[in-house]
Amino acid sequence: MITRSLKTTATALAAVAALSFGLAGCGSDDDTATDGASTGGSSAPSLDLVSSGTLTVCSDVPYAPFEDFDKSAPSGFKGFDIDIVSYIAQDLGLQLKVLDEDFDGLQSGLTLNAGTCDVVASALTITDDRAKNLDFSDSYYNSEQSLLVPDGSSIASLADTSGKKIGVQKGTTGKSYATDNAPSDATIVDFPSDAELFQALKAGQIDAILQDYPVNYDHQQAGGFTIAESYDTGEHYGLAVKKDNTDLVQAIDGALQKMHDDGTYDKDYSQYFPPAAS
Amino acid sequence: MKRTTKRRLRQGGLYVVLLVAVVFVILKVDWTAVHEDLWGPGLGDNWHDLIVTGVKNTLLYTAIAFGCGLVLALLLALMKLSPVFAYRWLATAYIELFRGLPALIAMLGMAFAVPIVFHWKAPGGTLGAGIVGLIMVAGAYMAETLRAGLQAVPKGQAEAAKSLGMNSFHTMVSVVIPQAFRIIIPPLTNEFVLLIKDTSLLSFVGAAIGQRELTNVAHDFETSGSTAGTATSLAQAALLYLIITLPLTQLVAWLERRQRRAR
Repeated sequence: MITRSLKTTATALAAVAALSFGLAGCGSDDDTATDGASTGGSSAPSLDLVSSGTLTVCSDVPYAPFEDFDKSAPSGFKGFDIDIVSYIAQDLGLQLKVLDEDFDGLQSGLTLNAGTCDVVASALTITDDRAKNLDFSDSYYNSEQSLLVPDGSSIASLADTSGKKIGVQKGTTGKSYATDNAPSDATIVDFPSDAELFQALKAGQIDAILQDYPVNYDHQQAGGFTIAESYDTGEHYGLAVKKDNTDLVQAIDGALQKMHDDGTYDKDYSQYFPPAAS
Repeated sequence: MKRTTKRRLRQGGLYVVLLVAVVFVILKVDWTAVHEDLWGPGLGDNWHDLIVTGVKNTLLYTAIAFGCGLVLALLLALMKLSPVFAYRWLATAYIELFRGLPALIAMLGMAFAVPIVFHWKAPGGTLGAGIVGLIMVAGAYMAETLRAGLQAVPKGQAEAAKSLGMNSFHTMVSVVIPQAFRIIIPPLTNEFVLLIKDTSLLSFVGAAIGQRELTNVAHDFETSGSTAGTATSLAQAALLYLIITLPLTQLVAWLERRQRRAR
């Protein structure tokens, strides 16, 4: 009996060893990925990509109208951010692959540093703090913050939230704005994503949501909720890449410029946003 | 070949495989990256909030969930042993339901669905609701442990108590339940350790700044403070969790050894 159990242990150990070697094989793919951009078209220099021939984009989905699920789309996702990166991928002659990742890791640079993806397209506001850990493209969207309340709420402005609960999303500029500007006796409750945030407002667990204007606008359009106030915070959304991947930033900026020039940007923009939003 | 030689060879082979695996892992790890990303400079600034807010709340929430869960579990276990069929059936249904659900779903349900459906909110906002969810799941798990413990008390004990003129309530409270607890202390400690780790799910239901448990605090340090942009705070939290859980798992092992000797 003893020898038999030893044998099984040996097999298991061998399997573990084989597995780790196999993983090592996967790991070394990173090195070969660099020359893969030869398939990339136009004038783009050879790009440092996670997976050759593919622009791997990370986004925290859903965050309509910037990113949402869409089974019928080739990437499996839709939204303004997705349209932007689709255009860029096409312009650079790359395949587009979109991954759904947690926002906190995206905005901190953690996901990019881990080599999960090349580009973050997740309604990411350009800030100095974030720019320490990742590189931003030119901005592609100007965002405002806004306060969403249920219809008939007594809250008409941020000043009315005294003694109330304001919901915010972890790691967002909306959270910073609420922390800096809400009355001191308002409670700021943070949630991992807009999904939980909106559920909490619906369930009456919080009294208001301080969130990016377009997201709250979507909730308002769905009915039952009103944007009480909006705040011009001078925020700009940018695409982010791993720190010091300058070639990729330049390629993205070039594609963005092209998108503005040929009118695709305006066409896509009007598809998602009310003219008054920005 | 002799049997012992064969065995020695096989054991030697096992050691070689293990050694190769260990050496391989050590060589494969990028130690500079470990230093920069997992144990970065400036991590000293994080300890205060991690411990004073994070560890404190983690232990507080675990204690609440464990205490209330245990009361619920005792009720369920007694129902399961009840001579009334409806009680047995109800307890079984509850236990199967909540053991079959991920704790996260139960917590989200208490926080976001119950207020809409029942027009009732658990005290303490979403976080309180999350803890109630945790209690309901913990209660279901511990109920099964308790039932096994109650049934493991030899029948003769209850019979002896009855023959001394105790009524069935008195028998249960002063004879059966105390002995059952002695049997189930090791599995209950295990449940406590599981609960400590499950409190990390509470960040999903939302928390105000002073309500954050350990994982939530660590999560915030990924984006703010002097180690922003690295996973350092997560590594710190991992270490703190181990400091709490390892003595407890050792305690379980010790209790089990002692119990085996007592038999």
